[in-house]
Amino acid sequence: MFQTVLLSLTEGFGKTLEIFVLTLLGAVPLGLLIAFGSMSRFRILGWPVKLVIWIVRGTPLMLQLLIIYYGPGLILGNNWWGSGASGRFTAAIIAFIFNYACYFSEIYRGGIEGVPRGQREAGQVLGMTNTQIFFRVTLLQVVKRIIPPMGNEVITLVKDTSLARVISVYEIIWNGQAFIKSQGLIWPLFFTGLFYLLFSGALTLLLGWVEKKLDYFKV
Amino acid sequence: MALLQVQELRKSFDGLQVLKGVSFEMNQGETVSIIGPSGGGKTTLLRCLNFLEIPSGGRIAVGGETLFDAENRRGLTEKEIRQNRLHFGLVFQSFNLFPQYTALGNVSLAPRLRAKERPDYKARHKELGEEIEARSVDLLKRVGLGDKLNYYPHQLSGGQQQRVAIARALALTPDVLFFDEPTSALDPELTGEVLNVIRQLAAAKMTMVVVTHEMSFAAAVSDKVLFIDGGVIAEEGPPEQVLRNPLEERTRQFLRGYEK
Amino acid sequence: MKKIFALLLALSMLFALAACGGSSAPATQAPATEAPAAEEPAAEEPAAEEPAEENAGDSDLSAIQAKGTLVIGVTDFAPMDYKDEDGEWIGFDADLAKAFAESIGVTAEFVEINWDNKVLELNAGSIDCVWNGMTLNDEVLNTMSCSVPYANNAQVVVLKADAADQYPDTASMADLTVAVEAGSAGEAEATAAGLTTLACESQAAALMEVGAGTSDACVIDLLMAGAMIGEGTSYPDLTVTVRLNESEEYGVGFRQGSDLVDAFNAFYADAYADGTVMELAKTYGVNEAIVEP
Repeated sequence: MFQTVLLSLTEGFGKTLEIFVLTLLGAVPLGLLIAFGSMSRFRILGWPVKLVIWIVRGTPLMLQLLIIYYGPGLILGNNWWGSGASGRFTAAIIAFIFNYACYFSEIYRGGIEGVPRGQREAGQVLGMTNTQIFFRVTLLQVVKRIIPPMGNEVITLVKDTSLARVISVYEIIWNGQAFIKSQGLIWPLFFTGLFYLLFSGALTLLLGWVEKKLDYFKV
Repeated sequence: MALLQVQELRKSFDGLQVLKGVSFEMNQGETVSIIGPSGGGKTTLLRCLNFLEIPSGGRIAVGGETLFDAENRRGLTEKEIRQNRLHFGLVFQSFNLFPQYTALGNVSLAPRLRAKERPDYKARHKELGEEIEARSVDLLKRVGLGDKLNYYPHQLSGGQQQRVAIARALALTPDVLFFDEPTSALDPELTGEVLNVIRQLAAAKMTMVVVTHEMSFAAAVSDKVLFIDGGVIAEEGPPEQVLRNPLEERTRQFLRGYEK
Repeated sequence: MKKIFALLLALSMLFALAACGGSSAPATQAPATEAPAAEEPAAEEPAAEEPAEENAGDSDLSAIQAKGTLVIGVTDFAPMDYKDEDGEWIGFDADLAKAFAESIGVTAEFVEINWDNKVLELNAGSIDCVWNGMTLNDEVLNTMSCSVPYANNAQVVVLKADAADQYPDTASMADLTVAVEAGSAGEAEATAAGLTTLACESQAAALMEVGAGTSDACVIDLLMAGAMIGEGTSYPDLTVTVRLNESEEYGVGFRQGSDLVDAFNAFYADAYADGTVMELAKTYGVNEAIVEP
C-alpha cells in the first residue's frame, strides 16, 4: 500500500514540479515586460498595464483559473481547451504565469526604481547606451535587491500549484485526496506535506546560496 | 580659438527658468571654477553640458564643432547625444561608482564597451583588452590607488571612491572634465586627497570645470572663476578679482558667508 | 485593452452565472426536437462515416457524433466510477457509460473533474455529461437536463461504532453535531430531520470530521459509506446507523436542452429489457438499487 501511495504522490508531485518550473520560466521574463510597461512614460501603455496588474493581483488565483479554463466555453461558446488533461494543464499554466508575472512585475519595479538615479547617469556620461546601462550596471543591482522578495513569491508558488486541482489538473494534493475517496485513507493527503517541505527546503537553500554569491558587493 | 564655447544657454523646468542665458568660453588646458549659492543653476549648467538635461536654448561647441544648437529644430538623436557626451567627463558629488565592479572594473568598463564598437574589435579584442587594462591601471596609479585595483567600492573610503570616479572619468580621454562639488559628500579630513588629485590634473594642463565651495582651492587652482547666481553669470574674471576684490555687490555678499 | 475587457467581461459573466444558477446557454446546446432523427442511424453506423459538422449547431448528439467521443465527467466514487489496476475507469456507471457511447457510435472518454465545477464543465463544453452516482436533487435538476432515474440511493448517518446503540433514531441525536457536505442531499435530509449540522467541503471531509472526533456524526451517501468505512479503511471503527430517506434517485446529467437525454432514456430502456443493466449491476453489487425504466 505504501508503495502504491508513494508512487501516486510522486507522480502528482511531478505535475506539481511541472507547473512550478513552467510558471517560473514564463513569469520571470513576462514580469519584466509588464514592469517596463507599468513604468512606461506613455500613459496609453502605462495605465492599461497598471489596470491589469490591479485586476490580477486583486482577485484570487483560484477565480482566475476558473475564468481562464471555463471562460472560453461559457462566454464565447467555444471551448478551445478541449476536455483532456493537456488543455487543462495549458490553461492552468497560463493562469499561473499571468498571475505570477504581475506579482513579479511589481517586485521588479521596486527593484529597478530602487537603483539610485546616479547609477544610470554615471553610465550615461560614460557614453554607454541604455541597453548597456541596463545589462551592465542596473540589472545585477536589481537582482541583488529583489532576491529576498522573489524568494518569498517562489516559495508561495510551490504551495499555490495545488490550486490547479480546481480545474482538475492532477497534482499531488489531488492524488493525495483521491485515496480518501477511493480507499478511505487519510494519511496520504498529510504525507504530501513532506514533499512540499523537502522541496521548499531545497529552494530555501538555493536562494541562500544565490544571496551569498551576490554578497561581494553592497547596494 | 576657445576649446569650449557656451552661448546663451537656457534651461527651464515646468516653466521655471533655472538657466537664463549663460555664456562663457575656455581654452585648452584651463581650469575654470564655478562658485555661487545653491539653487543658482551651477549643477543644472553642468548637467546641460553633459546632456543629462537637454537645454531649452543656446549653443554648445567644442573645438569649433557645434554639439548643440537650439536653433536647429531637428533635435538630437540618442546616438548624437552619446557622441556629444564623449567630449566631456563628469565627476559626481556622490561618486556614483558601480558597486558590483572593482575599482579597476569601474575604470575599464566604459572603454571596454567602446572598444566593442570598433570595426577591428573581433580581430584584436585580446590586444585591445590588454591595452585598456594597462591604461586603467595607470590611471588608478595616477590617482594614488595602485594598491586598491581589486577593491570593491564599499571597501574603499569616500575619498578613495571619489578618486576612482576621477580615474573612471579620465578613462575615455574627455576634452573637458567637469566636477560637481567633488568634495561636498566627504568628511573634511578626506577632502585633501581629492583636491590634490585635481591640482595634479591642473598642473598637467587638463581642461577642467570645477563647481566648488572650497574658496581657497578655487583661488589656488583656477585660471578663471565664474560666480553664478539666479541663473546667470553675475561676475567672471581671474580668481584675484572674483574671490579677493569682486566688482559686484552680489559676489561680495556671497563671499562674506565664507569668511566666518 | 482587449485582455482587460475580456477579463472584466469574464468576471461579470461569472457573477451573472452564479446569480442565475448557471442558466446561460453554450453554443453547442441544442433544442431536443431533432433528437429522434439523429439517433436512429447513429446506432448502427461508426462515427467516422457520420455526415459531419452541418448538424453540429442544432443537436448535441450530432455534435458529439461528429467529434467521435462522449466526454464523461466523473469523480473517483466506487462502486460507480473508479480505476482498476491498469488505470482504466470501471464501475457500474463507467461500464454503462461505455455501452451508451457505443450505442451512439462514439468512444467514451472519462475525465476526472472537481465535483464543485460540474455545471461549469458541462456548460463550457469540456465534458458532455455528468455520470457519477449523481443524486437528482433540485440543484441538479435546475442546472442540467437529467435522464430518468436508474438507481436508488439513501442518505445515512455514520457514527463511531461503539456509540451506535445510544442513537437508534434521529430524535436521540438532538445534541450531536452532524457533519455534512455543503449543498449535498445529505445536508438537506439532515436539516429536515432537525439535526444540528456542520457544513464541510466534501463528503470525505464530513467523514474525516467524525474520524477525527471534531463532529459526532455525519450524513453521507449510502453507497459512499459502503466504500469508505469499515475494515481496511482509515475508518475501521465507524458504522452506518439510521437511513434518513429511501426516495433518493441517481441519474445522468446533460447540458440543458440536450437531445442526449432522450438518447440515453431510449438506450436505458433497451439495455434494461435485454438484461445488460442487471448483469452489470450484479458485477458491482448494486442490483438492489436499480430502478426499472
